Amino acid sequence: MQTQLKEKSYLELCPANDARPPNVGPSRLREAIEASWTAIAPFWPLQNLVAVNPLQGLEDLPFEEALFEAAVWFQQRDLPPSMDAVNRETIKWCQAFFDEGQATITMPLRDRGLYQAWRVLAPHDRLLHGGDAARRAWLAALPPQPEAAIAESLRKLDIPPAHQTRFMMLLLTTLPGWAAHIKYRTDWSASEPVHPHPVTHADYLAVRLAITCALWPEARDLLGWHARARQTEQRAAGAHQAIAQAELVYRESLLRSLAGRASIPAQHERAPRAQLVFCIDVRSEPFRRALESCGDYETFGFAGFFGVPVRVKDTVTGESHASCPVLLEPRHLVRESPACSPAGREQVQAGHLRLDLAKRLYQSTKYTLSAPFALVEAMGPVNGAWMALRCLAPVWAERLRDRISGLVKPVAAVASDISAIPVPDRCDYAETALRTMGLTKSFARLVLLCGHGSTTRNNAYATSLDCGACGGRHGATNARVLAAILNDPWVREDLIGRGIRIPGTTQFVAAEHDTTTDEVTVHAESLTNPGLQQILAQLRDDLETARASNSQRRAAELGFRGTQSDGAKHMFRRSRDWAQVRPEWGLARNAAFIAAPRELTRELDLEGRAFLHSYDWRQDPEGTALSLILTAPMVVAQWINAQYLFSTLDNVAFGSGSKVTKNITGKVGVMQGNASDLMHGLPLQSVCSGDGDPWHQPQRLLAIVRAPRDRVRDIVQRQPILRKLLGNGWVSLACIDPVDDQAWLLARDLLSWQEALA
Amino acid sequence: MQKLSLAGLFHLDALALVMIGLVAFIGLCVASFASRYLQGDLARRRFFMRLAALSATVIVMVSADHLLLLLAAWGVSNLLLVQLMVHKRGWAAAASAGILAGRHFLLGLGFVAAAFGLLYAATGQVGIQAILSGPVAPAYGLPALILLLLGAMTQSGIWPFHRWLTSSLNSPTPVSAFMHAGLVNGGGYLLARFAPLYLEVPQILTAMFAAGLATALLGTAWKLMQQDVKRMLACSTMGQMGFMLAQCGLGLFPAAVAHLCWHGLFKAYLFLGSGGAVREKRLDLDYPPQLLPFFLALGCGVVGSYGFAVASHKSWLAADTTLVLVAAAFIAGSQFALPLLRKRPLAMLPVALLATGVSGLAYGASVRLVESLLGPAVPAQPQAINPLYLAGLVLLLSAWLAILFARRPGASTRLPGWLLGLYVRALNGSQPHPATVTAQRNHYNPG
Repeated sequence: MQTQLKEKSYLELCPANDARPPNVGPSRLREAIEASWTAIAPFWPLQNLVAVNPLQGLEDLPFEEALFEAAVWFQQRDLPPSMDAVNRETIKWCQAFFDEGQATITMPLRDRGLYQAWRVLAPHDRLLHGGDAARRAWLAALPPQPEAAIAESLRKLDIPPAHQTRFMMLLLTTLPGWAAHIKYRTDWSASEPVHPHPVTHADYLAVRLAITCALWPEARDLLGWHARARQTEQRAAGAHQAIAQAELVYRESLLRSLAGRASIPAQHERAPRAQLVFCIDVRSEPFRRALESCGDYETFGFAGFFGVPVRVKDTVTGESHASCPVLLEPRHLVRESPACSPAGREQVQAGHLRLDLAKRLYQSTKYTLSAPFALVEAMGPVNGAWMALRCLAPVWAERLRDRISGLVKPVAAVASDISAIPVPDRCDYAETALRTMGLTKSFARLVLLCGHGSTTRNNAYATSLDCGACGGRHGATNARVLAAILNDPWVREDLIGRGIRIPGTTQFVAAEHDTTTDEVTVHAESLTNPGLQQILAQLRDDLETARASNSQRRAAELGFRGTQSDGAKHMFRRSRDWAQVRPEWGLARNAAFIAAPRELTRELDLEGRAFLHSYDWRQDPEGTALSLILTAPMVVAQWINAQYLFSTLDNVAFGSGSKVTKNITGKVGVMQGNASDLMHGLPLQSVCSGDGDPWHQPQRLLAIVRAPRDRVRDIVQRQPILRKLLGNGWVSLACIDPVDDQAWLLARDLLSWQEALA
Repeated sequence: MQKLSLAGLFHLDALALVMIGLVAFIGLCVASFASRYLQGDLARRRFFMRLAALSATVIVMVSADHLLLLLAAWGVSNLLLVQLMVHKRGWAAAASAGILAGRHFLLGLGFVAAAFGLLYAATGQVGIQAILSGPVAPAYGLPALILLLLGAMTQSGIWPFHRWLTSSLNSPTPVSAFMHAGLVNGGGYLLARFAPLYLEVPQILTAMFAAGLATALLGTAWKLMQQDVKRMLACSTMGQMGFMLAQCGLGLFPAAVAHLCWHGLFKAYLFLGSGGAVREKRLDLDYPPQLLPFFLALGCGVVGSYGFAVASHKSWLAADTTLVLVAAAFIAGSQFALPLLRKRPLAMLPVALLATGVSGLAYGASVRLVESLLGPAVPAQPQAINPLYLAGLVLLLSAWLAILFARRPGASTRLPGWLLGLYVRALNGSQPHPATVTAQRNHYNPG
């Protein structure tokens, strides 16, 4: 049975494979090229590390089979030694081509694209032709089209047509990190400006194959090696068993506590002192709990981009980035500028130019010949003192830096200009946001929309701790945009027609939760009403209290032993410490996604392991909101969950190894030491509290929905993405049915419900 | 054979104290950094024990007077460095990098041991101060000094002994920081220690200058080509060590010691902060510059170099080898002024002149500080300009102008074939040793 399964999945993986008659036409080749890329998941650059399932390309397979395939394709430790030289040269050229601003003397001809540039340079490369005239001539005669070069190389290597897809797949999976970066560039960077150095699937394969031809003419052996790996692979079953066991224990305990609260009647409807909307991120849950215990606050969970797909442009620096989930295209441009008088704005602008000039002075002297010798002597004393201060007193160093940079460039609050968003769109965004999170009545006077971001220093993986829903960025902008929309009188007028009446006294205010220090920065510059200010003052006090208690808990998780007041101080120090490899635990230990009203989870200690999405089935008779929740935020949660799972399961194959020896290349990714594959995934320190001591618990996402189970099943069956993830066991779905208050688990056939707590 | 006594083993002069100060300072910073950076690392205890032992042996090395003590401390500290570099034995590429470095160090140790043997044979003395105070017979002295120079070159990663240095990045970050501020300076220390002997052989000084300058330009050119932050820093160290050797070759040993101290701090900081490379945004410097700002910048460079000469108590335009240092200050000053003059050059000229002059003064002062700390312990004796020094000076200037005015890539679609070939050659030359590359991802082993 097992062998049959393997065979089946293998055929699925290589669609243009043995079963078909050999046909070597160009369209057949193009198909083979595309098919060979299917197993590769994209990997985002360090500028915005979006979590992704490294086995995304295998999600069409049942989880158990995907584990087996992953072990065969990605986890092998004994490639033929001849592959070493091929990989080394590929790494060398990838480093050169995909550099985003480290090198001063860059690879020539990059604007022609990867293959074209490489083709011109390759005949000069002694490490490829070894001085051999014939090999050199072969490199020089490579055809201009990458597809033709692929065909030529496959012919030279004598790969039979029936095995070509598999062979090319092997060339991709034996250097998976670089392939993943290229997959990002080719398939996932469409919303970015057109890249000046283009690359295509065929480009990379052409280069990789030609290098293989030059250095390992017998590379056909790779196919035999792969076949042997399939025969002998055994680790997948054990891994699956451990995962399933952990899931079972967690699921029973969580569902039991939830089912226990299911019968508690909803609180009578009245407006609390303030309402706060947080991101669904697992780090929000313990903070919300801590705040709720401080006073009469109602909290909600919603995707941290607040439903507004925007691109943000900083008018001072001129930089821009997309601030929405990578599954969406940004639809509007939001301009951000200092929130102050025109004169103040000019000061900020001038300050930016001064800072820019200082950087130019440094870079001008550093990145050239002959000048850096004097630079190091002149800068040595300053750098030495600064290094000692940062090592021995990181917080003081930070204060000193803030003070100096404040003198050069004044600090100002930021205002977001939403004029580019047409009013009808604003109304749609407002309605969708409020309905999806179930906040349509009993509005408090103050509603805080709280995005989030992290603060770390000297951290290559900084953006992996930022808001995933904002594409690996800080979320304050999106909070400001939605707050501005919901405060817009035209929007409120229109919402009345859509059945949502926001009282005139209610004000929406944006904020940002710093997940490293638990500080909440409230952007309430425009708040003038004394009553609101009073509420806000109280809220600020309570946010401080919540910070203290949550920081204490988190500091203890990071091994800190100290008294109550020291936890926040400790976390602050971690955030500013350039030597810190674990500034915070990020989303480690994430395990569940819960779409339900807060009453169901309130007062339960979910240990920061659950994504909480507010959802009220009573306000969603058609299931539109639930359908959206399950196909967008839940899918993002699954990407995150899978990234943590596989980075923990095998930190070398799917994670990026220890931060201790990391080496950033091209400003896009990390290598280990002198040179290696691009290490995609999370570093060891993000998932382990020590070498070989995992902190994250590898388990698949458990999605829990508070809604009638028939409605849930209908949605699942209508959505292909849910059929794929649930049917193949990448996510399991439970339901706390309001009809009987029982916990039900959807079977893998997606038809039947089983009692989860039998 | 003299009697061994503690006093006879050590000689604690200003040079030793400056080096001890440097090593202790870097050691403290690195240990503090590593105490958090290696949290949870299984090899953490071992790392700290070795770091402490290494600091101690380096301190013994720089304060040793007895040849054998110096040799022993030299050998042991290099052995400890190799162990620190490897960190995790299960990672084959790291082990290979350790072996590569170990082989170089062994060769260097051989050079130094042979040199010491010859010095002993020539003078019958085992104390360095005793050797320095008396005449050394040239028949032994000359080969001894050449061997000592080769030993110093191996230690400081000078071409052709650079490969271990550019392949050393499988080391933990704090080890790289300590190494680039510590043990690579061993070569410079050794030359400064025996400076009185070298100053008597101008031919060796000229050779030193040539090897140093070649390495300085090669290392810096490679640095500009690297795409990963750590190899860029390693190539940069190679270039800086080359410049330090060239300074020795100018007869300006105290300036060389100043260079190795300040470079050590500079580079240690950059290594420890290398995780922030993602956030550093490279700014467009609009090369090649317009001619007006360029010539104004040259004027600023003159002012800067004058400030440097004044503050470091050096003659500004003398017909001796200090001219090379002044030229380096002139180049740096001009390069510093360029961004200031990029827009509105004439209006910005006073600011640029002032800024460059002040920077020149600060630069001179930092050099002067070390030189005055060293006092007479390290002699300086500028050499008369000979054709080779002159050629070096011209090379320094023309390399700078070439990179400044070379067309930027992007507009480079019609580069001549030889230039493309040169790019690939240089790229290949700067690659780490193949055995030290983790060619197969799953051969990486953090455990």
